[in-house]
Formats: sequence, C-alpha cells, structure tokens
Amino acid sequence: MKTRTLAQADASFAIRIILAVILFNAIIIALPLFYAAWISVHDRDVILRTEEFIGAEHYRRLLTNPEAINAMIASLKFTLVAVVGSLIVGLGMALVLNEDFPGRSFLRAAILIPWAVSEVVTATAWIFMLNPTFGALTGVLHPLGLASENQVWINETTALYWVAAAYVWHVAPLGAFFFLAALQTIPDGLYQAARLDQANVFKRFLHVTLPQIRSTVMVVLVVVTVEAFRSFDLLFAMTRGGPGTASQIFPMLIFRYTFEFSRYGLAAAASFILVGVGVIVTTLYFVILMRRRRTVRIDAPAAAKLADGGAAA
Amino acid sequence: MKKSSVERATLWICVALVAAWTFIPLLVMFWASMMPIGDLVNGIVQWPKSFGFANYLAILGIANIDEIFGGRAESIGRGFINSAIVAIPVAAIGTAMAVVGGYAFGRYRFPFKGTLLFVLLSIRVLPPIAILIPYFVILSSLRLVGTHFSLIITYLTAVVPLLTWVLMGYFASLPIETERAARIDGCSRLKALWHIMIPMAAPGIAAAFIIAFLTAWNELLFGLILTGGTSNQTLSPALLALSPTMPSTGTANLGLTMFAAASVMSAIPPLFFAILAQRYITRLNVADPVTTQGD
Repeated sequence: MKTRTLAQADASFAIRIILAVILFNAIIIALPLFYAAWISVHDRDVILRTEEFIGAEHYRRLLTNPEAINAMIASLKFTLVAVVGSLIVGLGMALVLNEDFPGRSFLRAAILIPWAVSEVVTATAWIFMLNPTFGALTGVLHPLGLASENQVWINETTALYWVAAAYVWHVAPLGAFFFLAALQTIPDGLYQAARLDQANVFKRFLHVTLPQIRSTVMVVLVVVTVEAFRSFDLLFAMTRGGPGTASQIFPMLIFRYTFEFSRYGLAAAASFILVGVGVIVTTLYFVILMRRRRTVRIDAPAAAKLADGGAAA
Repeated sequence: MKKSSVERATLWICVALVAAWTFIPLLVMFWASMMPIGDLVNGIVQWPKSFGFANYLAILGIANIDEIFGGRAESIGRGFINSAIVAIPVAAIGTAMAVVGGYAFGRYRFPFKGTLLFVLLSIRVLPPIAILIPYFVILSSLRLVGTHFSLIITYLTAVVPLLTWVLMGYFASLPIETERAARIDGCSRLKALWHIMIPMAAPGIAAAFIIAFLTAWNELLFGLILTGGTSNQTLSPALLALSPTMPSTGTANLGLTMFAAASVMSAIPPLFFAILAQRYITRLNVADPVTTQGD
C-alpha cells in the first residue's frame, strides 16, 4: 500500500465504487432495457405462447404507420409549445421577481407551488378551470358574453394546446428559478451604464439582460425539452389522449399498444424510437454544454483575472 | 434606484399577473373542494349554500357524507398510506446509492468518465414507459404486479440516475482541501466520505431525499399500471379513479368535489417539502452540473 501514491490509491478506490454503482444501475436499468430490445424484435403470440424473431419488422411498421407518425408530430408540437411557453413564462416570472416590491419573498416561494404539486393535481386544477359545464373559465366568461353557456374549451383542435398550457403552469416555475439565479449574477453597473446611455427598459433587456443569461436560456430550453418530450402523466390525467386521438402524443400511443392491445413487441419498438429522438436531444445538450466549457477554458489562462466573472456568464 | 410612478404601476400589474397565473387554478380547485357534493353541477363560480371541510373530513374517515362515496374516500386514505410505504424506501435507498455514485463522479477522475456521464444523462431522457414495458412483462411473470416492491424497484430506476447527477454537482462544488486534510491526517477514504464529505453535503443530500420522495409520491403511470385497482394502489391512481372518465369534457359527477379535496390533500406533502427544500434547490444546480465539475 505504502509504495503507491495517494492519487493512484484514490483512482483504484474510485474505480471500485464506480463499478458498484454501474453494477446496480446495470441490473435495474440496463438489463430490463436489453430485455425490451429483445421483445421489440420478436413477435409474441399471447395465446399460443410462441415467440418468433422478426427483426426490425415492428420498427418498419411503426415508421410507416400514419397513427404513429401523427403521434410523433403531436409529441413534437406539444414539446415545442411547452418549451416556448415555459421560456416566456419562466423568464417573465423571473424578471418580475427580480424587481424590488413588498411581498417579493412570499411570491418567490409561492410560485414554486405549481411545480411541487404532481401532474395529476395540475390536471385536477385545470379540469376545474376548463370543464364545459362547471368550469371556472366558462363561469366567468359566459356572463360577460365571451363564451357560450357550455363552451367546450378542450376540443379536437385545442386539446393539445390546453394540455401544453397546463404543463407550462406546472414546469415554468423551475425555469423561473434558474433565470432568477442568473439574473442575480448580472452586475448592477451594466444597467447603470445602460441608463446613462439613455437605453429604455426594452433596450436594457435586449442588450444587457438577454446576452448575460444566454447560457441559462439554453439550459432551461434543453431541460424543458427533455422533460416535456417524455411527459405522460399530465396528458393522461387531463385528456387520455382525446377527444378521439386529438391529443395522442407518442408516449400515449405506446401506452395504448401496451395496455390496451398487449402488443408488447410493437410498444417496445415504439419506445426505442422515442428514446432515439430523446438521445438526439441529449447529444445536442452535451454538444452545447461542452462547447461552452471549452470556450471558458481557452479564455481562462489568457484572462485569468476575468475568469471569475467570465466563467459565471 | 427611484422608480417613476409609471414604472411602479407597470411593476404592480406584472406582479398581479404572476400571482393570478400561479394562484387562480389552485384557488379554483380549493374552492371546488369546499363545496358540498351536488352543488358543483351549477358551476364553480357561485357562492355555495353550505361551505366547509366536509369532503376533507370524509377522506380522513372522520365524517361519512354518503355511503356511495364512503368507499371512494377510503381508497384515497389507503392511497396516502401506500404512497408513503413506497416513497420512503425509494427516497432512502435512492439517496444512499446516489451519494456513493455522486461522490465518485464528483470527486475522482477515471477512465470512460465522459462516456459514463453521457449514459447517466441519457437515462434521464428515457421515457418512463420505455422502462415500464420490460418491467411489466418481467413482474407479471414473477407474479409481483400489484406489490409495493414492484413500484419501489421501478421508481429506483428513475431516481438513482437523476440523484447521482444532482449530487455529483454538489460534491464537486465542495472544497477539496478539507477532504485532503482529513486524508493526510490518516482518515481512510471511506471514513473521509462518511465523517467529512457526507456532513458537508448534508443540505444537498436532504434535497436529494426530498426530490426522490416527491418523484415517487407524485408519479402516476407506474402506480396506475402496477398497482391500479388493487389494495396497494398509490395516491395518484386513486385520485384518477375519482375523476370523470373524460376529465376535461365530461359532465359533473357527484364525486368531483371529493376529487378536488383529495387532490388538495395529496399536494400537502409536496408543498411542505417544497418550502423546506426551497433554499437548496437553486444551489443544487440540477440542470447544469457539467459546468460545476471540479476537474
């Protein structure tokens, strides 16, 4: 033992605990996934209890199936609306909460409530807002003449967007917290300088705030993309994919393949297609983050004094 | 800095907008939960004839409104217990695994670290249903569907990678000098982890525990598939069973106010923990631990 240096011993210790961690994750995650991959290339007959190797047949069928293609389009639409909405609402909240007003710390804590409650509770709250017969939106807007007596808010064309709105309500506070942290690192001097240059509030936002929080915008963008793309609970609790198949996002389709039709092979194949699209997003995430780190590193030795401020931005 | 009155008015309008967006859906749900069963048919926007906590008392088993709804209220009560039975071990085991993994990832350099981090992050991208399908087939053949164990093991698949990622960032952000000093003073690596690093990381570990607990507490899909309709049904599927079949378009049914009350109650532990964890959440750097790695 004594002949080895501390660093070498540390490395072998690290490798041992890493191996233990990997083993645990491999057993509970990787093995089931390999099994799912095996299921996805076999045709399973539940009655005859036979399993026949069919290769990529399930994948081929899915990629040419209009129902699956529509579900993927719905998923991408839902994700896009959720991401754009979360960025706007989250940033808006952060900008307001970054100002000075009485009750600010209360409101800062309170905006976290929608994020902390489950997606089922989020769905409940929005069902009571939107229901055509007893919902609050109809109740307020009908007497004002802005809605019919039993206005059906969630219909074929709007269902996906209402679920996305509820999702934004649920997830935007998290974005707001990231933005708030970023806003607080912007030096006050920048705003004072901008004021001296007669920049109005919009110009200050565009030329001072936005460039300073660009990397946070990126982070929130990617996090919400990943979360929205894989989300299932809220949509299921709100619309079950309906009316009809109007809000049938891809995970909803997989759910139906699995538990309505017991088509495990097809469902497993579909879930790998979903994973594939998700991994593309993750790769982008890594590329973006790594590129940012590299820039910081290259700059760091040259401008050591600036590194403290520069690395944070 | 002094603000003009126009600026101040704009600010207050914006504050009101944020408050309205946040609170109105919550208040509407709370309002519905205070209504007696049957009043809701006339709409939420009204002053109900009687107004009170009857729905809550029914769920707690203190008062019984109606025999028909007695069973439903009971299923919610059981849901609370089942969710706790599942969420506590998930949080404990998940946090323990993640402390070890997060410490190793956050503190050491080793071969394939970048690849392993990529795999770790990719797991986060995995849609829950992708992991549920093989587990459902395996657990069905082992006759384990409907047990608490089936949920604990499947929730761990979601919780362990996430928390490892979170705690990795946290361990990396702790100063290395203290640990080095302890090591030079003759502390073994495990002792240094146990006596120095874990106490230093306590706020992060507490937050990780809370995240794991809430993930298990709030989750619907796994709970629905693996325990839905059984006596081990967790809270989210129990809530869903109270909601109308086409929740957003269906007409009012008599269980709805109970549904609202149960939803409000189910949100109490998350609210409590969110307030508790609030201070730590920003420090955790959930989204961006890559940039906080110590190396």
